[in-house]
Amino acid sequence: MGIIIKAEGLKKSFDGFEAVKGIDIEVEEGEVFGFLGPNGAGKTTSIRMLTTMLRPTSGSITINGFGLDKDLTEAKASIGVCQQHISLDKDITVRQNIKHHAILHKMPSKEINPRIEELSELMELGPHMDKEVAELSGGWKRKASIVCSIIHRPKILFLDEPTAGLDTKSRHMLWDLIRQLNHLGTTIFLTTHYIEEAEDLCDRVAILNQGKVVALGSPRELCDSVGRITVEYSDEKGKKTMLQFPDRESGKEFMATLKDNATMSLRKTTLEDVFLIMTGEEYFKGGV
Amino acid sequence: MSDIRLPRILDESYRVAWGDLCYFKENAVTILISCLIGPLLYLVAFGYGIGSGMQSGVDDYVRFIIPGIISMATLSATFSFVSSKILIQKLFYTSFDELLLCPIKPSSVVLGKCLAGILRGMCSCVIILMIGLLISPGIKVTAFLFVLAFIASLTFSLLGILAGLLAKKHNTLTVFSSLVIVPMTFFSGTIFDISNLPAVLKYAVYALPLTHQTESIRAVMLDLPIPWLSVVIMCIYCSVFFFVSYYLIKRRSF
Repeated sequence: MGIIIKAEGLKKSFDGFEAVKGIDIEVEEGEVFGFLGPNGAGKTTSIRMLTTMLRPTSGSITINGFGLDKDLTEAKASIGVCQQHISLDKDITVRQNIKHHAILHKMPSKEINPRIEELSELMELGPHMDKEVAELSGGWKRKASIVCSIIHRPKILFLDEPTAGLDTKSRHMLWDLIRQLNHLGTTIFLTTHYIEEAEDLCDRVAILNQGKVVALGSPRELCDSVGRITVEYSDEKGKKTMLQFPDRESGKEFMATLKDNATMSLRKTTLEDVFLIMTGEEYFKGGV
Repeated sequence: MSDIRLPRILDESYRVAWGDLCYFKENAVTILISCLIGPLLYLVAFGYGIGSGMQSGVDDYVRFIIPGIISMATLSATFSFVSSKILIQKLFYTSFDELLLCPIKPSSVVLGKCLAGILRGMCSCVIILMIGLLISPGIKVTAFLFVLAFIASLTFSLLGILAGLLAKKHNTLTVFSSLVIVPMTFFSGTIFDISNLPAVLKYAVYALPLTHQTESIRAVMLDLPIPWLSVVIMCIYCSVFFFVSYYLIKRRSF
C-alpha cells in the first residue's frame, strides 16, 4: 500500500484572505480518510484543490502518482467526486445524468447500462431513474449524485459531506456503501459535519481549523492524545466544563474533589471531544 | 496546447455534448420554434411589410433580406441557447463543475458545449432556407453556404460560451445581449444595405462578426463575388473566441 493522495505545503488565498495556510497530507491507498473542521475551516477549499477544481496559490498535489501541475487529465481519471452541492443537470433525467457521467469518464459503452442498473438497484433509485432531476426530493438527488460519482469505479472517491440532507436509513445505506467500496479497494476521502460518521468510518482523520491541520491520526490515537477519559461537570450556574484524563482512576479522583451538588459524569473521550478541543471551543479546558 | 489531436478532441467533444444533445432531442420542436419565431416575424414584417420602401441594392428586397434573416437566425439560435445553458449549468445546477472533474481536455469542453448550439443554428438555417426557397426560388444554394452557416454557428456558439463563462449573474448576460447582440442583429446588414451608412458607423458595423457572416451568405445566395476577407475575418473571430474560452476553462478563470 503506497501513498495515493499527497499534498505538500498547500495554500490558497482569495483576494488577500488566506483560506488554506499550508496543508501537508498523505493518504494511504485503501484508506478511509476523514477531513473534519468547523464551518470556514477551509475543508471545501482544500477538497476543491485536491479534486483539481481549484488551483492552489502554492504547494503541490499528487493523485495516484500523477502531479496535478503536469498530469491533470490522468489524475482526474483516477477520481470520483461527490460534491457538497447537488451538481446534476436538472434539464435531463436521472438516468441520463448518470449515463452522461459514465460517457464523460470514457467507460466502455457495453458496460454502462449494466453498471447503471447495478447501482440504481443498490441505491434503490429504480422508480426515479426516468424522472427529471428537478422532480426529485433532496435525498434522491443526493443518491443520484453519489451514483454519478462512483459509476466509473474510481480508485479514489472524494465525498464532500455526502450524507447532508439524507434521512437516517439512507445515511446508513451510504455508510454501508462506503464500507463496501473501501472493501473493494477504493480509497475514500470524506469530509463531514457528523463526527460519529467519521469516528465510525474513518481509519484516520485530519482536523482542520483556520486553514491548518491541527490534528491527524486514527480516531483512537486522537482520543488518546487528549486523554481517553472525559469528566463532564456543571457548576452551580449550569456552566458545563469537560476535562480529559489518561485513565478512569485519575478521572474518579478528580470527581471526588468536586462539590456534592455538582452534576458530573465520567465517560470515554470521543472524537467529538477531540474536535471541540482542537477547534478551540471555550467550555473545553482540554488536555490532561 | 499539447492536446491538438483531432479524433480525440472530436470524441471528447461528443461526450461533453451528450447531455445537451439529450435535452435537444427531447425538446427539439419547442427549441426550434422558439428560435425561429423571431427571424420569421422579421421576414414577414420587413420583407412584406415595410420592405417595399427599403433600398437594398438588389432588385427584390425579399431576395436581399433572406440571407440576412438566415444570419440573424443563426445568431439567435446559437448565442442565447449556449450562453444561458452555460450560465445555468455554472451558477444554478453547478453541473458545469462536473465537466471539469472528468478526464476531458479543456479544448473538448469548449467544442462540446458548442455542439448543441451548432446543431440548433444549422437546423434554423435549413428551415429558413427552405422557407426562403419557397418564397424566392431564385436564390442560390451551394455547399459553401452550409460551410458558412457552420462557421457562423460555431463562432456564435463560442461567443455564447465566452459570455456564459464571464457572466457572474443572469443580469450580466441580459445586459450583454441588450448592448451587443440586439444591436448586432439589426446593424449588421441583415435587413438593410450598410453601404448607405455614414463612414463612422460603417467602421463600427464592420467590426461586428455578423456583418461578415451576412455579407458572405448574401454573396453566395445572390451569386455575387465571395467576400473572402469577410470569411477570413469570421474565422479569426471564431479562433479568438475559442482560444479565450479555452484559456478561461484551463485557468479556471470564470
